[in-house]
Amino acid sequence: MPRPFGFLLSPDPPPKRVGVVVAVALVGACTLIVYPLKQIAPVVSLGVVYLLAVLLVSATWGAWLGLATALLSALAFNFFHLPPVGNLTISDSSNWVALVAFVVAAGLASSVAEVTRGRAREAEERRREADLAAEMARLLLRGNSLREALPTAAARLAHALELPSAAIELEAVEGDERHVAFALREGASRLGTLVVPAGTPERDLRRLQERVVPALEALLSAALEREGLQGEVVETAALRRADVVKTALLRAVSHDLRSPLTAIATAGEALSLDGLEPQERWELAGVILEETRRLARLVDNLLDLSRLQAGAAEPRREWTSIEEVVRAALDELGGRESEWTLSIDRELPLVLADPTQLERAIVNVLENARRHSGGHPVSVRARAVRSIGGGEGKLIVRVVDRGPGIPPAQLERVFEPFYRAGTAGGGHRGSGLGLAIARGFTEANGGELHVESLPGQGATFVFELPLVSAQAEPGWDERPADAPDERPAQPRAGAGPDREA
Amino acid sequence: MSPDAPRILVVDDERQILRALKVVLREAGFEVVPAETASEALDRAAVRPPQAAIVDLVLPDGDGVEVTRELRKWSEMPILVLSAVGDEDQKVRALEAGADDYVTKPFGTRELVARLQAALRRAGRGSEEPVLAVEGLEVDLAARTVRRDGEPVHLTPIEFDLLRVLVRNRGRLMTHRALLSEVWGPEYVDDIQPLRTHIARLRAKIEPEGRPRYIVTDPGVGYRFSF
Repeated sequence: MPRPFGFLLSPDPPPKRVGVVVAVALVGACTLIVYPLKQIAPVVSLGVVYLLAVLLVSATWGAWLGLATALLSALAFNFFHLPPVGNLTISDSSNWVALVAFVVAAGLASSVAEVTRGRAREAEERRREADLAAEMARLLLRGNSLREALPTAAARLAHALELPSAAIELEAVEGDERHVAFALREGASRLGTLVVPAGTPERDLRRLQERVVPALEALLSAALEREGLQGEVVETAALRRADVVKTALLRAVSHDLRSPLTAIATAGEALSLDGLEPQERWELAGVILEETRRLARLVDNLLDLSRLQAGAAEPRREWTSIEEVVRAALDELGGRESEWTLSIDRELPLVLADPTQLERAIVNVLENARRHSGGHPVSVRARAVRSIGGGEGKLIVRVVDRGPGIPPAQLERVFEPFYRAGTAGGGHRGSGLGLAIARGFTEANGGELHVESLPGQGATFVFELPLVSAQAEPGWDERPADAPDERPAQPRAGAGPDREA
Repeated sequence: MSPDAPRILVVDDERQILRALKVVLREAGFEVVPAETASEALDRAAVRPPQAAIVDLVLPDGDGVEVTRELRKWSEMPILVLSAVGDEDQKVRALEAGADDYVTKPFGTRELVARLQAALRRAGRGSEEPVLAVEGLEVDLAARTVRRDGEPVHLTPIEFDLLRVLVRNRGRLMTHRALLSEVWGPEYVDDIQPLRTHIARLRAKIEPEGRPRYIVTDPGVGYRFSF
């Protein structure tokens, strides 16, 4: 805020030579003013006029220039006004008294002004330090990363203290011929170092040591503690998430391992009994086989999921017939023919994908559909579509069940690991892993998997797999699957120029 | 299968388990009434009441606790619950809803059959039977006397009441809450610690050295008087 007399008592006065000029001018002005005043007051009392000049000068430029102004004023007063005028002698002894009193008063006034000026300078420094501390606190305590905030904070510090440069390090740094180092400590432990250039004036160094370093130590200690706590918060959150997954896994494993194990154990014990009909033996053996398959699938799924979550599911792509993959998936699921209706277009183009992963994806979606279809057959349809934008097109596999469907709010959630749609009649046999795995593997192969459903009317899971130009023509079956530089072009159809070098 | 074989309602949504259990129970002399859902189970039980029920806790349209509660509304038949959850809370809920016992999946069929037979025996026995005498222990509920190897044992009133409740329900798994409610009253059902203390004192007086033979702990769930 600008003050009308801001230059008075300012810690940064105008240059000294300006002061000298101003002092001489003021003394001159006072001398002139005294002339008219002599008409109305005794001249001896008019020395007080010069005090104005002395106060003004000493308040602005300090005691020394103030004293000089006082002396100059005394000389001018004596020369121009005290009789005998025109020389520096004084005839009347009372005039001596007036002159001496004036000089003493002027001297006192300038030293009072000087002391006040010093106080003002100190107050200004404190204010700046307070500003600096507040800003440093903001920089060091608010930011996301302490290390990133340190250079800014150091620059701000250098600017405030008028140093050419400064650095705050979180390590112990030794001073050398070009640098002065201030250790920053909290108790016995070293927090870091404040480094300033070697040429810094002694006064500033003292000020740094006495006023800046303690504040910086407190700030840095708080900032480090805060960063530590933040790290712990992040770590705790990660652990808690891992814990949730682990608990879900345990629950899934508890139910999904025990149920088939119970069936196998019970069927095994039943088989050992006497007096069974051949038909019953055959049935019990079927129970054991089917439940064993189910267990094996669960183990596969657990492994797949951990692979996907660890990012270790790098697909080994080759030219793959979707029809073969679907049929292999149906084989793996076992069960009756009547559970499925298949409609796969003839001469579907091949897709460039990892057939094993694709099969895992499709098995899981088929198993899910069969589980929820309430005994109705699940329909599997596959066809190729050209992209409207003139791109490569897609191969689309739709798996349609006639179960209860999925409420809109759960459409995406069904792809979360361990999520099980808890709708009535849906059964509880899924592990909650299958769809997560299906989506994981589909996406790993450049495709997409989503679900459409109207509650009450079943659900349709849709795979979209990108078609790659090289096999748009027929006859690509013979293409060697393990060509070494076989890189797929852009996995998404119509996605701009391809990257082949 | 004899025409008067006890009819057992078996409720499990795992068709394969149902199929295997049917054979096992038939060979043990029971007739199985299978049901895959809670509502099917309640329907079948209502049409022709079975002598006992085996109920899986996880069902597609509800849970076994609910089935147990519904059956208990009109029937005293023994109910065994099957739990795949390994979760004590759920067992306790089922027992509090009126189940007599539970078996954890995967179970041995011999154990299942034994528990089922025990539960049926208990149900057929009737509740008024003033004197119990098993291997060295004699409890006269009417005279409130207890003898071990012929020697009279002095029990405090609370200890005797505990023993009486356990003996009356022998073979049946009694939850902590059930015991507390019967002996101390419904307002004390959460004070498990005093129950432990009294069980320990009772055991010291009636059990032989070493492993408890009569009062068996089911950790986290309760106690049963086995015989």
